[in-house]
Amino acid sequence: MTEIPSAPPDSEPMVKVRGLTTVLNGKKIFDALDLDIPRGKVTAIMGPSGTGKTTLLKHITGQMRGDAGQVLVDGEDVRTLSRESLFELRERIGYLFQNSALLTDFDVFENVAFPLRQHTTLPEVLIRNIVLTKLQAVGLRGAAALSPAELSGGMARRVALARAIVFDPMLILYDEPFVGLDPISLNQVLKLIRTLNETLGITSVLVAHELAAVQQVADHVYLIANGKVVAQGAPSTLANDGSPWTKQFFGGSADGPVPFQYPAGDYAAALGLRRNA
Amino acid sequence: MNARIERNGVVSNALAQIGACALFGLTLLRAVPGSLRHFRETLRQVWFVGAMSLTIIMTCGLFVGMVLALQLYDVLSIFGGTSATGTVVAIAIYRELGPVVTALLFAGRAGTSITAEIGLMRATDQIDAMEMMAVDPLAYVAAPRFLAGIVAVPLLTVMFCTMGVLGGHLVGVSWLGIDNGTFWSNMTATVDVWKDIIDGVIVKSFVFGIVVTLIAVFQGYTTPPTSEGVAYATTRTVVASSIAILALDFVLTAFLV
Repeated sequence: MTEIPSAPPDSEPMVKVRGLTTVLNGKKIFDALDLDIPRGKVTAIMGPSGTGKTTLLKHITGQMRGDAGQVLVDGEDVRTLSRESLFELRERIGYLFQNSALLTDFDVFENVAFPLRQHTTLPEVLIRNIVLTKLQAVGLRGAAALSPAELSGGMARRVALARAIVFDPMLILYDEPFVGLDPISLNQVLKLIRTLNETLGITSVLVAHELAAVQQVADHVYLIANGKVVAQGAPSTLANDGSPWTKQFFGGSADGPVPFQYPAGDYAAALGLRRNA
Repeated sequence: MNARIERNGVVSNALAQIGACALFGLTLLRAVPGSLRHFRETLRQVWFVGAMSLTIIMTCGLFVGMVLALQLYDVLSIFGGTSATGTVVAIAIYRELGPVVTALLFAGRAGTSITAEIGLMRATDQIDAMEMMAVDPLAYVAAPRFLAGIVAVPLLTVMFCTMGVLGGHLVGVSWLGIDNGTFWSNMTATVDVWKDIIDGVIVKSFVFGIVVTLIAVFQGYTTPPTSEGVAYATTRTVVASSIAILALDFVLTAFLV
């Protein structure tokens, strides 16, 4: 008799990153990065631009594979999965892209219905009900017949969110979910992330820069810089933990451990005010 | 010395591109069975690359036939052989002009749109979104367009040839006064179904369909996700397809004649 593999215990983190090292174009993006994403919680990944937050999400989904280390999602090592196994895993993961990535050939309804049509043989009436429920949740049921080109950036993001949650996945990865949202939509999206987490126990990972929004929705925050986790903790306390990283990042200062200027030569020499030695 | 190094770079780059395209073709073939699930998408693509190209193909076919008849009538009249106009028009169109010009027009009309569409899908993360939804973009996006091109090019070539012969008839019979019966009977007596139509029209157009669509899909799928990348990929589709069509036409003709 074939033994059915048991599910990882609830105490096991949904995502476990150990010693992840990634070098892209000669630049070390992650330097033996370690972090855990707990099950059933909302975890925020924050950090300066270009620090590899989106890249980390891509490692979790297997779109990118690191040079060393492990990325375990629901107990499976993403780096060693075959394409078929990876696709099976991805059916249990929702992903909200930074630029929405709606399929331009389809209208809003069909965009949300797309994963259902590809992976299920549900009757049309059921697909319709599921899609309308998800669109209602993001406040866009009335926009079902619009094409992606007719949507504003914020609306497109909400449609992409409806598509990401259409399967009620075990894990949702949100890449910059609050960009371009007006205060009403922002509030509704925050509520939706929280509701999905509380009612269905969905684990959420969000990459964001908006501290106020993160404080409302996240249970735990990781601050990433220079390829490592430089600070972590509850969002309410992290901003005041006194470390130079959090002080600079949340204070928005140009001076600190994260250089504001991209490495360059002497400024005065570049302007012709002083001769290079 | 520098020019030689540069030339070697261009040649090795071209060879690398051909190799990468061939490997991509093998990967694409593996995705074809999976694409049969998306039969409606394939049909939609046949409509888009095939039916939507009909106007340009038929119009060009008509004019190619007309100008060919005009030129041949002028030359053949020197030898008193104007009655062979229909035959020569038909053979030239079936063996060479039909498949070659159709494939060139297809590369310009449909190949570029396939490259640009897939390239923009990549630039706007739609390809990645499919991957994330556990939908194989090779099976959903690339393979249906590839199959559509293979189906469409031979059909479009048949339409081109038909319009070309009708164009030749229009000029030869209706304008220049060649006898209608002579035009058709000489043509039907000389044109060989196997050698001219099967080898010329069908085999060549089938091969051209595979090559042009493969190049278009490859360029779109592997383009850098930038507006400049898409622009270059579209240009490369036309350039590479044109060279491939003409080079393969020579090779195929050498084997088929």
